[in-house]
Amino acid sequence: MNQAQVPVLSADSIPERDNPTVIMVRRLFQHRSAQLGMFILSILIICAVFARQIAPYDPIKQLADAKRREPPCIHLLGCAPEKTQHIMGVDGNSRDQFSRIIYGARLSLVVGISTVTFAILIGGLLGAMAGFLGGWLDDLIMRSLDVLMAFPSLLLAIAIVAVLGPGLINALLAIAIIEIPIFARVIRASVLSVKELDYVMASRAQGASELRVLFTRVLPNAVTPLIVQGTLGIASAILSAAALSFLGLGAEFPTPEWGLMLGEERNSVFNAPFLVFFPGLAIMLTVLSFNLIGDGLRDVLDPRLVHGG
Amino acid sequence: MKNKFYVLLSVLVLASMALAACGAPATEAPAAEPTQAPAPTEAPAPTAAPAFVGESLVAPDCNYGGNIKSIEAVDELTVKFTFCAPEPAFIAKVGSVEAFNILDEGYLKETGGDAVKINDNPIGTGPYIVKEWVRGDHITFEANPNYFGTKPANSTFILKWNKEAAARLLDLQSGNVSGIAEVTADDLATISADANLQLAPRKINNFLYLGINNTIAPWDNENVRQGLAMLINKQKIVDDFYAPGSVAATQFVPAGVKPGYTDGYVDTTYDPAKGIEMLKAEGFDFDKEYTLSYAERTRPYFPQPTKIAQAVQAQLAESGIKIKLEMEEWATYLPATREGKKELFFLGWSEDYPDATNWYDVFLMGTSKAFGNPFPDMMDLISKAGKSGDPVERQKMYDEVNKLYAQHVPNIVIAHGTVNQAYLASVENVVLGPYNENFKQMKTADGTVVFSQDGEPVSLTCADETDGNSFRACNMVFSKLYTFTTTSVAEPDLAESCTGNADATEWTCVLKKGVVFSNGAALDANDVVASFSIGLDYKYPLRKGNTGAYQYFKDLFGPKVLNQPAE
Repeated sequence: MNQAQVPVLSADSIPERDNPTVIMVRRLFQHRSAQLGMFILSILIICAVFARQIAPYDPIKQLADAKRREPPCIHLLGCAPEKTQHIMGVDGNSRDQFSRIIYGARLSLVVGISTVTFAILIGGLLGAMAGFLGGWLDDLIMRSLDVLMAFPSLLLAIAIVAVLGPGLINALLAIAIIEIPIFARVIRASVLSVKELDYVMASRAQGASELRVLFTRVLPNAVTPLIVQGTLGIASAILSAAALSFLGLGAEFPTPEWGLMLGEERNSVFNAPFLVFFPGLAIMLTVLSFNLIGDGLRDVLDPRLVHGG
Repeated sequence: MKNKFYVLLSVLVLASMALAACGAPATEAPAAEPTQAPAPTEAPAPTAAPAFVGESLVAPDCNYGGNIKSIEAVDELTVKFTFCAPEPAFIAKVGSVEAFNILDEGYLKETGGDAVKINDNPIGTGPYIVKEWVRGDHITFEANPNYFGTKPANSTFILKWNKEAAARLLDLQSGNVSGIAEVTADDLATISADANLQLAPRKINNFLYLGINNTIAPWDNENVRQGLAMLINKQKIVDDFYAPGSVAATQFVPAGVKPGYTDGYVDTTYDPAKGIEMLKAEGFDFDKEYTLSYAERTRPYFPQPTKIAQAVQAQLAESGIKIKLEMEEWATYLPATREGKKELFFLGWSEDYPDATNWYDVFLMGTSKAFGNPFPDMMDLISKAGKSGDPVERQKMYDEVNKLYAQHVPNIVIAHGTVNQAYLASVENVVLGPYNENFKQMKTADGTVVFSQDGEPVSLTCADETDGNSFRACNMVFSKLYTFTTTSVAEPDLAESCTGNADATEWTCVLKKGVVFSNGAALDANDVVASFSIGLDYKYPLRKGNTGAYQYFKDLFGPKVLNQPAE
């Protein structure tokens, strides 16, 4: 747009409008469930970034003086002062569980964001090409992705890990692969509707190359649904990673990964319930936060809901 | 009128003859014999017995690599086992391992020895018969009406399984099962505190060891292995993860193995400073990551696999050794270790029969590639000790072996575990033996005992199985020549007695009279020959089984069996 024209227009008839992104962010901050989601997420991010400062112990070091599976001891809540404080208790290998949970936040966020980024990059590109170019390429890409979607996601992830071998990196790769078709579909649908719009036609008429049209005109205007899907995708990726680790196919011992912590103490559920409660709670809160933000984003970005809500 | 009468009479006669022909002869024969004596057609059946044709399994020579020379059915109830080298532990071996169950030869021919057919309809002489096997859920056993021994105190026995210790305990607490296997140390307090439950400790000689493959660098260096052994705090591991009554290992065998155990001898003491020094002196690479493999399979000697593996990992990390833990599925893990593919690994052993040969000969004679190359000086002594009948002489040799073991460090024995089972307090007569639970003598109010173990039996082709979960079911349905109940002294079961000659190379077993299989067939010496031939001869036509390996026959009477194909 020509900058010189803007004041002329606003002065005339149209009231001055904020940047749409700013509007979106403002609405998001006013959205109740998104507020809660962002609150939880900000705590998680603080834990992840400052894990070293917050965690009282080394997450993988076995403490010589701690009793195995000792219940939580918090001095503020009346735990005897001569006992060492362990906010979330001590795990089955004499490690401080609170420290492990804190370090686990770092791992979970990295898992969620990295897998989704990878899936968006690959899925987005495939979907955009399919939607924009159409024809046999569209069929080829989308039908292959349909095949991928035909498998239950966790089963497919397990199969991929079985081929690649267990380990955190392989698990991440598996989760990213199972998320690819979802993003590809979303972006393709969005590209299909955007590419017929007038400004795209105009750009084409001016002789812009296909690539230029795709990357400068179509994609920037088609990514909105992807933001919502991506946020929700992070939640499901964290959950899948925890599930794979629980099954012994993800992170390796003694990594402080929540799913792994849950899995290795699953038999203590009756005699030391705090060992499964806290990792479970951590997974739940993290997934919940991303889901709440994702819901909020969808409400905010949905034009039908803007005026009604 | 008269005609009709005769027709009716003749029909009746025909019908009764048909009934006599079709009725079960086995159950009726003993009672009917004297009264039916005049009937000339019935007479040949009992007199057919003297025409018994004894079968046999004979090795052409003793150079095939195994210890069996021959097994012969001398007469209907006598079997003679001849060995190439003295076999002093013969009775202990055939009495403890469920692989040496006796099956009916006729039944084996019917099934062709196929595991699937045997699983569908297992026929034995044991206290129970299989009523149904719901795959993936449970097996229901019913008391065998033809059982030759004391009648079981409960009419129904149900074997269930659940991998998770917590779920098994929950099943017990809710009264769904009468007993559970493999109670973890962490649940002991809960069970002791519960008045509705009783703990049943089971004493059996076992060990957990850290296996080392001495063909993979840097573990090919004896000094490195010695150094490694000093870095593991065995006592701490036992204190943390094992049930009370378990002990940290001081030498290769547990104290219960006599001759074998050297009193008061401690081969390696925990000394990380010295261990690290030794490793440094040998130029050990502290930057490299070494892989320690294990399988998540709870055993008396390995009560919490993942926890123990992590504890060892952390202990070695304190000494600067980086360990990557690799958890594998049991089914692939065991073959991989046996093929020598793992540098460091956890495995364990519960003895099959009470004799030192079940320890030294199994692990230190190079029968498995898991440890790499065996040590000739140890092999020499072990081989001599296994064939000696003099306990004092044997002990002297084993004392030497124990010292050599500390020097060579073929593996690092960590602990000897005590295992606990738990039962409802209402179950009476819970007396666990070293090799089985004596379920048949347990009593419950409703006559049903339900037991939950940690996995499904693989098959009921017991001769071809090796795992305790299968053997528990085998013990219900089949019987062996000897058996163990509550002590570590073998008691005659199917055999009246087995007697050996002076140098223990010949064992003659006399079978009990009147024992019948659950299909009605009578037990005879040929059944014994057939049951052993399956495992001992690759060319035996009925050798099919589940995997076809028949491992125990190789382990206990091998290392090779007849007509074994070269690898």
